[in-house]
Amino acid sequence: MRTAIAPALRLFRYCHRVDPVSDEDVSAAFTEGRPEGLGLAYERFGPLVYTLALRSVDDAAEAEDITQQVFVAAWRGRDGFDPHRGTLGGWLVAITRNKIADALRGRQRDQRLLRQIASGGATAVSDAPLDLLVDRVLLADELAQLPEPQRLAMVLAFYSDLTHEQIAATLRMPLGTVKSNIRRGLARLRSRLEADGAAH
Amino acid sequence: MPHTDPEILALLALGERAGTAADEDHIAGCAGCRAELARLADVVAIARHDGPAAQLARPPEQVWQRIAAAAGVTGAPAAGAPQPSPDAAGRPSPDTALPPAADGAAGGGPRARPRPARRGGRPGFPRWLRGRLAAAAAGLVIGAGAAAGVASVVAPAQAPPVVARIVLRPLPQFPQWQGASGTAVMRAGTATLLLDVTLHAPRRPGFYEVWLLGRDGVSMISLGDLPASHAGSFTIPPGTDLRFYTRIDVSLQSFNGSPVHSKTSVVRGSLPPAAAGGSAGAGGRA
Repeated sequence: MRTAIAPALRLFRYCHRVDPVSDEDVSAAFTEGRPEGLGLAYERFGPLVYTLALRSVDDAAEAEDITQQVFVAAWRGRDGFDPHRGTLGGWLVAITRNKIADALRGRQRDQRLLRQIASGGATAVSDAPLDLLVDRVLLADELAQLPEPQRLAMVLAFYSDLTHEQIAATLRMPLGTVKSNIRRGLARLRSRLEADGAAH
Repeated sequence: MPHTDPEILALLALGERAGTAADEDHIAGCAGCRAELARLADVVAIARHDGPAAQLARPPEQVWQRIAAAAGVTGAPAAGAPQPSPDAAGRPSPDTALPPAADGAAGGGPRARPRPARRGGRPGFPRWLRGRLAAAAAGLVIGAGAAAGVASVVAPAQAPPVVARIVLRPLPQFPQWQGASGTAVMRAGTATLLLDVTLHAPRRPGFYEVWLLGRDGVSMISLGDLPASHAGSFTIPPGTDLRFYTRIDVSLQSFNGSPVHSKTSVVRGSLPPAAAGGSAGAGGRA
């Protein structure tokens, strides 16, 4: 009996885990202004900030600009970040939201100008609800942070049609381990959304 | 009765059947459990909204350079990241070692696991691949956003972009396979890397199996068996260090129940030569 993914996962134990710098260490290096602090923060949260920007403004060059603005502003204004009041990720997301809003406002202004000139025919500005987008991107980020094989169990639980029993068989993990991985994984994702997400 | 087991709530939130009739009754009458279930279901809905393709896109390399310049810091964002350790001298254990490739790339290494850690950066992906993955991810997102008008969906139906094409060739020490050939196409899949492998080789008793080979010539990961068509699509297990597992190998396996490589390599190919992420990764050969 072989499921479609079982062969790929057969020797999963041979995979090497990386040991990334913990979010706390990144935050400490950044807050203390250590030379590597900005680079570590960028490595850890660059994709989060960039993806959020890219999916909001739908323009790669503009998303790159926003990403740059966010990290430069955050680094210069790092004294304004209080790690006791929130996470570095949440703080960067808040700055990103501001920069996105600025970019979209600038675009609307341009659009209004265009409309005045052309009187009509202007396309609507994307107003994708930013809150939902923030939550989705944060969730993708947190999912990617889960240790293996928990991450894989969550991916399968979310996106495959496999039941938890089938996931256990596929990953060759005890059923109880899969169930607790799923429970803890969901709880961790929820905590991240509550800490850094739109509703916080 | 006590509150519903959190594991059952989690499974219910995922849409699975779980728990007993008693659990159902309890949840129906317990505001706390209902609220907890609703919160978990929200998380599931957010996760499922974009589908598995919803990966984060990596900003292009020049963004960091601009940030570093503007902020007055120097160095790579992952400065100090260790390069893959060069193969140490030593002989592979004879009972598991595979025949080395003709180009000697499989140089003997100890059985010790390679150092996997890399601080920061996309784990386990060589530089050439990181760039292509970022480009692929950005392409997907931009393409879908432009099509939909709202940049919040990722087109699921698009064929995963190709990040590498690898030619598979027979090894000189196996003259019986000199007519064999193959290709491996690496694609950036939804949550993983995919490998489409095609083999041109005569049918033989047994079956063909696809492997990733480590640079030490000993470590290997089985990706799966080729079907009778000799063409199959495989998932590279997430987390695989492709700076270490740099070669693709197809073996002929007997129906003897053995899960290990038969040591009969039919064809083999290497990830692009630039794959080693710079000179330091090339195995340290002088």
